Amino acid sequence: MAADSTPAIVASHFSDADNQETAATLGMWIFLATEVLFFGVLFAGYAVTRLIHPEAFGNGGRHTDVLLGSINTAILLTSSLTMGLAVRASSVGWRRSSVTWLTLSAILGVAFLVIKGYEWYHESLEGLLPGPGFDYSGPDVPGVELFFFLYFTMTGAHAVHLSIGILVVASVAVLAARDKFSADYHTPVVLTGLYWHFIDVVWIFLYPLFYLVSRS
Amino acid sequence: MSAQRQANAVTATAPDKASGSPPERAPPAWPYWLTWLALLALQALNLGSAYLPLGPFNLVINVGISIVKTLLVMTIFMHLARSSAVMRIAAVAGFFFLAVLLGLSLGDYLTRPT
Repeated sequence: MAADSTPAIVASHFSDADNQETAATLGMWIFLATEVLFFGVLFAGYAVTRLIHPEAFGNGGRHTDVLLGSINTAILLTSSLTMGLAVRASSVGWRRSSVTWLTLSAILGVAFLVIKGYEWYHESLEGLLPGPGFDYSGPDVPGVELFFFLYFTMTGAHAVHLSIGILVVASVAVLAARDKFSADYHTPVVLTGLYWHFIDVVWIFLYPLFYLVSRS
Repeated sequence: MSAQRQANAVTATAPDKASGSPPERAPPAWPYWLTWLALLALQALNLGSAYLPLGPFNLVINVGISIVKTLLVMTIFMHLARSSAVMRIAAVAGFFFLAVLLGLSLGDYLTRPT
C-alpha cells in the first residue's frame, strides 16, 4: 500500500517539491484576493443600500430564518475544522484520516446547501423573491425588495462557490483514497482547504448582515 | 537519485501506515479544535448580542465579531500564522483594496447632505 504512494512530481522550473507547493499556494492566495473583491462589490452594494433604506433592512431582516441561519453557520464553522484536520492529516501522509475528514467536510457542505435550499423555497413561497411576484406589504416596499435582492444574490453567489467547493473536495477525497497523495506531495489538499476556508469567511459576514438585523 | 529519495520516503512512512500510529512530525491537532470552539463561542456572542437593544452598536459588534472570526480562520485554519511574508501580503491585498472601495463609497454616501 505504502509502495503505491505518489512521490512529488516536480516541474523542471522548480528547485524542489516545497518550492513548487509554495508557488501554488501563493497562486491560490492571489486568486482568493480576486474573490474577496468579487464578494466585496456585493458587500459595498449592501452597505450603501442599507444606508439609504435602514428601516427596510430591519423589516426585511426580521423575515429571514434566524434559527436555520444559525444552524447553517455552525455547520460551516465545523466544516472548516474538519477541512483543517484533513489538510493536517494529508500533510503527514495519513491517507485514511485525510479521506475521512475530507468526506465529512463535503457532507457538511451538502447539509448546508440542503438547509439553505429549504429556506429559499419557503421565502419564495412567502413572495419574498424579488421580481413581478414580489409580495410584501409594509413601509418602503422597494427598500425591502432591494434587501431581498441582495439576500438572494449574495447567498446565491456563496452557494455557487460552496457547490464548486463540494465537487472539488469530493474529487480530492477520491484522489486521496486512491493514494495519490503523500507527505511529500499533497498540494491539491492544501489548496482545496484554502478555498473552503474562504467560503467559510464569506458566510461569517453574510450571517450577521442578513440574519441578525434589527432583532432586538 | 529520485528513486533513492522515493525509497527513503517509503521506508519512512511505511511503519506509520502499518500501525496507524501518528509519526512524531505531525503538527498538534489541538489548535484546530480550540479555534473551532472559539468560533462557535463567537457565533453565540454574535447571536446573543443581536437581541440586546444597543442601537447602532448592534451592527458594530456584529461586524467586529465577524472580523475576529475571520482573523482566527485565516491565521490558524489557513496557516497564515506560519506562512511567509509574501503569502501574507497576497492575503491582505484583497482586503486592502476592499477597504479602499468601502472607504470611498461610504465617504461619499455618509457625507451627503440630506
